[in-house]
Amino acid sequence: MSMPKPTIFIIDDDSAVRDSLSLMIAQENIDVQTFDSAETFLNSYQPEACGCAIIDIRMSGMDGMELHQSMLTRHILLPVIFLTGHGDIPLSVQAIKAGAVDFLTKPVTREKLITAINAAIQKSKTLLSENANHQEALSHLAHLTDRERDVMLLAVQGHPNKHIARQLGISHRTVEIHKSKIMQKTGAVNLLDLARIVHESKQID
Amino acid sequence: MTSPLEALSFKVLFDAAADAMLLVDSAGQVVEANLAALELLEYSEASICGLAVESLIPHRFRGHHQQYRDTFFKAPEKRSMGNGRDLFAQSSSGKELAVDIGLSPIKTQNQLYILITFYAADKRREAEQALRASEERLQLAKQAANLGVFDLDPKSHVFHCDEKIQQLWGGKPDKPISYEEFINAINPEDRVAREIEFDRCSDPSGDGKYNMEYRITNPNDGIERWISTVGEMHFKNSEAVRFVGVARDITELKIIEKNLHVQRVETESFYKQQIASHTASAIAHDLNQPLAAISAYSDVALHALSNANNNPELLKRALEGCVAQAQRAGTSLHELIAFLQEGELITERFDLNLTVQDALNITKGDGYKEFQPILKLEQNMPAVLANRIQIQKVLVNLLRNAVEAMREAKAADSKITVTVKTHQDLSMAHVTIKDCGSGVNQELVKRIFEPFFTTKPTGIGMGLAISRALIEANGGQLWLGANTKSGAEFHFTLPFAP
Repeated sequence: MSMPKPTIFIIDDDSAVRDSLSLMIAQENIDVQTFDSAETFLNSYQPEACGCAIIDIRMSGMDGMELHQSMLTRHILLPVIFLTGHGDIPLSVQAIKAGAVDFLTKPVTREKLITAINAAIQKSKTLLSENANHQEALSHLAHLTDRERDVMLLAVQGHPNKHIARQLGISHRTVEIHKSKIMQKTGAVNLLDLARIVHESKQID
Repeated sequence: MTSPLEALSFKVLFDAAADAMLLVDSAGQVVEANLAALELLEYSEASICGLAVESLIPHRFRGHHQQYRDTFFKAPEKRSMGNGRDLFAQSSSGKELAVDIGLSPIKTQNQLYILITFYAADKRREAEQALRASEERLQLAKQAANLGVFDLDPKSHVFHCDEKIQQLWGGKPDKPISYEEFINAINPEDRVAREIEFDRCSDPSGDGKYNMEYRITNPNDGIERWISTVGEMHFKNSEAVRFVGVARDITELKIIEKNLHVQRVETESFYKQQIASHTASAIAHDLNQPLAAISAYSDVALHALSNANNNPELLKRALEGCVAQAQRAGTSLHELIAFLQEGELITERFDLNLTVQDALNITKGDGYKEFQPILKLEQNMPAVLANRIQIQKVLVNLLRNAVEAMREAKAADSKITVTVKTHQDLSMAHVTIKDCGSGVNQELVKRIFEPFFTTKPTGIGMGLAISRALIEANGGQLWLGANTKSGAEFHFTLPFAP
């Protein structure tokens, strides 16, 4: 599938920091958007965006950590790089645990920032494609009946038809009919392919 | 059956009475005195009979007495004498006796007598009891207060003290301490101060009050104690004649005081350390932001220069950014230093209304745009004299706080009312900034101006402390309005330019 061009979202309440960092990133031919508060970013955020968010930890109003939490609850897939004034070590541990990709100390060098951004963009792409696969898998599984789901889950765990029939209290023949329906509805070419679809459908959630 | 009284003669009853009695005729002469009266007044029966009653009272009362006696004889009735005034009788030796007196007229066929009864014994007993009770009260009070009492004649140095003083000063029970011993026990280091205080209270033009704390060393056990003494000098004809004082052992109090002092010093040093660490953190934060921007701008400029298709516009913008941010870092540093140590203040005349506008624009420019300003600006107000940048900083800080308070309270209304008017004392401008947040919690009111006090998770708590310091440095005052129910209301004043 085609990926949108990555964009870096800078969220910092200091206009000079916003401006200088956005110039620096623009010189790397990467698209940049700046926001002066967490709220303005959340209000204008488009889902499916590729890239990463560079967030100042200390902001008035909603601070950086709160913004990150807010992004997680809204299933915003954008990887987060935190910027901090000076070594907030407990905060950095907390941030990394919450899933931030990086934690950079201001002033930050171009090299460090661009390395972090590239890693974040890479992660963003993976997340987006995983998400796309997930959505696709979900749509494949959407039309299955409850009984077909039961059969499918046992089948991808490697149970032979005999076991499935016994476990669900149905005939061997009925299991075979369900299986052919499942392959037809999901478009899976074989059992291995079906297992992949089931696995991707379980991602994220 | 006859009454036993009928068998007794008047004379027997008269002499048997416990109270002193005199029988006086209408001329005021004593005709009879009973045994108790003779004993009380120290007369023989022969010498008292025929005396005028006036000779039985002290000289100073005699003049009026005759008048009283005449009045009484005109309308004699049984009553007590003196109407509650203190009455005195005088014995033959000239001794004055406090007495209560009862008067009973006795009429015979051709004569009027007055029976005078003295209740001297009761009066004396009462007085003695009262004195004893009073002494006992004093004693108990002294014990309760742990007080010792001493009494000094400042001229002759005749010195009296009670057991408590004896005990504190280490005197032997059978040998009262002398004034010299009293003074010698006082620590030599404290003796001069005591002497000065004693001389001061001995000055007849002063109030005579004496208050002193000193150390004494008990000569028996060598133990040092802290003593607090309070006393008063009494004067007669502008001459110090008597000094009465009380002394109390305050050694334990002094030990507690000393421990408290040690604790206070420790707390203070801890607090200073905290201040230092917070100040460093404040400086780091205020300098790091512009440094971060300068670092990035310079990098952008370098990158632009090394790039083949260099872009003069970008280069210009980056370098301008560097200059502005370096200035900003400098200003922050100077303000912090000005806050931490008093430096000289550069003031100018300016229009406060314009500065309010500037501050609103700055606040709106940096992530605080979601409020609706309501301006009530007095027109044609005189210019104020202050440091304009500092006042602008205070205004921005108060406006930011107001926006944050309303965000915190999720207030439906986002109005901030800024009022600029002439203060009632006419020499000051008065600015009020009122928000629609939830106001300041009563518990926090006292603390919000303390350095490093903050309710914000990311704040460093210097905003209001610095704001207040800046306004005060500019000759004004900054305070929180009392009405904090419908949002907080901050006020400050600034002097008008002369």
